[in-house]
Amino acid sequence: MDLIRHLECFAAVAEESHFGRAAERLGMAQPPLSQRVQRLERELGVRLFERTSRQVTITKAGTLLLAEARELLARSEALMATARRIRDGESGLLRAALPPDIAGETVTAILAEFQERHPGVELELGELTTSQQLAQFASHDLDAGLLHHPCDVSGLELGPVLRREVGVLLARDAPEAALDTVPLAALTPYDLILFHRAAAPALHDDVLTTCARDGYTPAAVRHGQGASFIRGLILSANAVALSPRDAHPEHTADRDPDLVWRPLTGAPLSWRLSAAWPRGRSDTAVRAFAEAATRALRETSDVSSEPPPHPLRLRPASEYWL
Amino acid sequence: MTGALTRLREAFDAAGVTGRLHAVDIDSGAEISAGGDRTVVTASVHKLCLLVALHQQAAEGRLDLTERIDVPAAGRAPGPTGLAAMLDPVRISLRDAAYLMMAVSDNAAAEVLLTRVGLDAVNATTARLGLAHTHAVHGFRELLDTVKEDAGPEGAQALTDPYVIARLRALDPARTNRSTPRDMTRLLGAVWRDEACAPEHGAAIRRLLGLQVWPHRMASGFPFDDVHVAGKTGSLPTLRNEVGVVEYPDGGRYAVAVFTRAAGTAATLPAADAVIGTAARVAVEALRAA
Repeated sequence: MDLIRHLECFAAVAEESHFGRAAERLGMAQPPLSQRVQRLERELGVRLFERTSRQVTITKAGTLLLAEARELLARSEALMATARRIRDGESGLLRAALPPDIAGETVTAILAEFQERHPGVELELGELTTSQQLAQFASHDLDAGLLHHPCDVSGLELGPVLRREVGVLLARDAPEAALDTVPLAALTPYDLILFHRAAAPALHDDVLTTCARDGYTPAAVRHGQGASFIRGLILSANAVALSPRDAHPEHTADRDPDLVWRPLTGAPLSWRLSAAWPRGRSDTAVRAFAEAATRALRETSDVSSEPPPHPLRLRPASEYWL
Repeated sequence: MTGALTRLREAFDAAGVTGRLHAVDIDSGAEISAGGDRTVVTASVHKLCLLVALHQQAAEGRLDLTERIDVPAAGRAPGPTGLAAMLDPVRISLRDAAYLMMAVSDNAAAEVLLTRVGLDAVNATTARLGLAHTHAVHGFRELLDTVKEDAGPEGAQALTDPYVIARLRALDPARTNRSTPRDMTRLLGAVWRDEACAPEHGAAIRRLLGLQVWPHRMASGFPFDDVHVAGKTGSLPTLRNEVGVVEYPDGGRYAVAVFTRAAGTAATLPAADAVIGTAARVAVEALRAA
């Protein structure tokens, strides 16, 4: 019996409390999943689940075994990942991801530095949103990534957090384009174009909260990420977009003749990014990717690492106090 | 049940949190679980374990709950409520210190009681009740000390920095006080069925859980004057928990444990507090319909 594969099935059913959903998550059909769990129960001589027609409930014995099963799965995953990379000296595969809004120049710099320092390691670099990266860290399909904060960082280690200043992208002939800095409240006549909430829900909500606090509650929020989609909406649908400064260089040949980027008054918004990887699973390749991503961002984007001067007023219901 | 699980997932997602929930009908044993066997950080929820251990020792005659103790002004565990926030020396009975610990999550009162009861006794109590995944590795003062140490020289200010959050030992279930949602509903069930302590002690524990003042978490999901909510919260940066019992006028009683971890690092996130009530309500309604 492939114990690890069977334990994976056990953990999935325990977490979903449902054979159908667990099968879906594992990418397999339900009957073989049920058979595997039954086989594991026979092998261990322990009943893991109570099954009724309506639900699956983990037994006390199942509960007692679940933590150990998870530990074993995590160890096995770490072992496979390490083995994959050390197999022939330093050669192997590093599965890494970047979020969609990273500038092309930054992507090039990351790839170049990584290849130079680790020519033997194959870097499989994908474009994934923050939410997708978190999901793939959890399912052990990703070794390292670059995340937008805030997000749930449980079980992760992070590199330094960098900030990209965010401003507004508007039509060059819009009246607000004449201002040196644009107050958020001045954007009231416009709809807002923002990335899909599912990409980074907490950042999405934070942005709207900050806009509202500073007097901008857009009549409509249009979700989109692609440059030409955003450009079209700005030019013909009375909308503006929030975007980092480094994505819109003003003094280069490829600047957009019809759009202009302006800083927001008081710099109320920034995108915060950091490299991330699952806790305890960093090796030289993971560290090299994290360093390359951090350095490339520093060199190709307008980033700073100073925290904003935001006083924190803890309230009594916080229950903690320093 | 599947519908309820979907609604739970949607509610947690809309509030920007990762949520784990276990709820059980105390009398029928019907249950609902959304990650109910995941190991979670308990934070101040562990004060409930301490309270049960305190009452077990009282029941065994090892301490007298009306005994008064002196709590000097200096050297108290830090906190924003109760004795931790008071400025002058206090003389208080053990059971009234327990009241402060449960009603306003008073860290100083909890530390005074923990010194008397002992960490080993708290772990022995939870082990005896069969809570195999529940364990306290340190007291509340020591817990806050790790937060202070890991936050570094910038103090509380640093606690909104994701880099610092990712390094807090207090948020890693392997290195701090922990449990599972299922263990906590099991504990509540034992208290409500008088299996954890003799009935008069069970009643005292239930009374204190019912005197908790916070309206923003589990209680917010049950805006009904005839529904009783008794619980204990737990909070740390990005982490908001509550375990409690919801009692309906028809006699239905449900133990619910909700543990959340917010994506946002802001200290004030009303939606993350309220979703504990929303999730508890979804779970209780599913159990009542079952």
